[in-house]
Amino acid sequence: MKTELMRRLGHPNLGLGLGLRMPHAQHILENRPRVDWFEVISENFMDSKGRPRHVLDQIAEQYPIVMHGVSLSIGSTDPLDHEYLKKLKALAAEVNAVWVSDHLCWTGVAGRNSHDLLPIPLTEESLQHVVERIRVVQDVMERAFVFENPSSYVGFTGSTMSEWEFLSRMTEASGCGLLLDVNNVYVSARNHDFDPEEYIRSVPHDRVVQFHLAGHTDCTTHLIDTHDHPVIGAVWELYRLAHELTGGVSTLLEWDANIQPFEELHREVLKAKKYLRQEGVVGAVADWRDEIGRDADDESNLKGAQGDGPVAPHPLHLSSVEVQ
Amino acid sequence: MDTVSEMGDSLNDSPAGLDRVQRWMQAVITHPDGVLTGADEKAARELIDAGQGNLESVVTRSRSLSAADRLAIYANAYYARLLECMANIFPVLRRTLGEDIFNGFAFEYLQSFPSRSYTLNHLGQHFVQYLRETRPGSEKEDDAGWVDFLISLSTLEWTIYGVFDGPGTETESMLEASDVESIDPDAWLDIRLETPPCLALLALDYPVNEFYTAVRASEEELELPFVEPAVSYVAISRRDYIVRRYELSHPQYRLLKSLHEGETVGKALEACAGVVPDDELDQLIIDVKLWFRNWTMERCFFRKILV
Repeated sequence: MKTELMRRLGHPNLGLGLGLRMPHAQHILENRPRVDWFEVISENFMDSKGRPRHVLDQIAEQYPIVMHGVSLSIGSTDPLDHEYLKKLKALAAEVNAVWVSDHLCWTGVAGRNSHDLLPIPLTEESLQHVVERIRVVQDVMERAFVFENPSSYVGFTGSTMSEWEFLSRMTEASGCGLLLDVNNVYVSARNHDFDPEEYIRSVPHDRVVQFHLAGHTDCTTHLIDTHDHPVIGAVWELYRLAHELTGGVSTLLEWDANIQPFEELHREVLKAKKYLRQEGVVGAVADWRDEIGRDADDESNLKGAQGDGPVAPHPLHLSSVEVQ
Repeated sequence: MDTVSEMGDSLNDSPAGLDRVQRWMQAVITHPDGVLTGADEKAARELIDAGQGNLESVVTRSRSLSAADRLAIYANAYYARLLECMANIFPVLRRTLGEDIFNGFAFEYLQSFPSRSYTLNHLGQHFVQYLRETRPGSEKEDDAGWVDFLISLSTLEWTIYGVFDGPGTETESMLEASDVESIDPDAWLDIRLETPPCLALLALDYPVNEFYTAVRASEEELELPFVEPAVSYVAISRRDYIVRRYELSHPQYRLLKSLHEGETVGKALEACAGVVPDDELDQLIIDVKLWFRNWTMERCFFRKILV
């Protein structure tokens, strides 16, 4: 029996999706793989009038698209960038984005952009500030917005609440949705010494619209959210818990550096079926192994990043220029 | 200026507390000499008076890392990310200079021109200007010549980058050779030819387009050829979402530039003839017909005829 779609903030459970990366574009357009949906980085396409936008337009005709931004800077004390919001809204309409998301963070002040997802102190002041700005954004966008819990590497002495309390109060006061990045919960839990399960149990499950899954780099003293490794077992188990508590929502695999062939990423996201509990679960579990064609616990085919050099969180996805 | 003891309260004040923390953190993690120096700088201490010895009054430590170490994760990522972006915009320049020297240039550039855009696509927009402004003076002629080469190469690469994802003509029809041939010869000199937004015309001090081709075709380890200064002209455009490069002669460049600026064909031909020796003008008349034919066949030079 087909499981009824769960709706969150009016959005359906789209199933299992992948981040759209330009090295995979040709494969997707030629082969039309059985991926449920794609997520795109909004800023890569907002001004694009070349190949990247052309690719997105073609893929948007065939697959549901969700937009995920990195420069909204909802937590910044700089004014909201209304020109940016106008472009974001236009793109969302043009590709028929199912929803639009960004991160609970700030990216810069005094007119600058670090292009990183910087943490905010978790205080009454910042909560009120963020909620007010979310309301404005949602008014401009004419839709509920979705915010992701970022991975973080510093905490502030002035913080007065946990991140899960902040998210709960933020979503209730603003009406926004949550993009629960399970890997980010794991990374932040290690970096800030809290229990990731408590985090997953404490967020408002009825506000969760989407999950992110990704790999990270273990630097021994801390973890960094590098999006360049397979999802580890502990994160899969958190995902299982999150799925049980929410009843299941759209799931996306992020892989932004050390990009693997498309089929490998597809296999990686299909592992999620092992952890989903739906009606007819026996059939579903049996089927996923056939679908991915090998033992899903065998991660040896998927290699993480190699080499020296600084390890940066949430790496860039940059398009290469095509020039004759 | 907040003292350390007041910082905790100031975070709970109205927006000033949050604003102060963000400005402080930005000053600390983007400082070119690192977190510790950044925290001790006047700019940071005027916001929150927590020098390198007192960072844990603002930012907590973890079991394994000090506050400084944790801030350094962001500081390292800030430059790593932006330098990677610059390398993506200027790949041949990076290959030419080598990673260390290229990163050195890019790092200094970012001090003068930190990103102020929501998109990294704009990160390199002031790089050529930066190279011009920091060009060594005439007393260091060798260095100045070398920087002129970098300016030419950067100009080419920045133009290619902009043409790749800028507005193009893929969804419209372009002028065909037959359209040009069908123009009444009497009307020819008075018409204008509209050029597409993706057409860029460059006059450069070095033959960097040729160099760019050679570098891209060569293996990573090969030593790159030394380039002597020589004025070169290049047209860059786009067709089928691929950037195309065309070496131009000086007369071709003058002709196209005039047309690109909206001049009539007649005026453009005058400008072109102005750089051709008198004894070559007869040949020019023949050549121009061939040029227009070849350019229209490329379908990325002219959009339509404007009468």
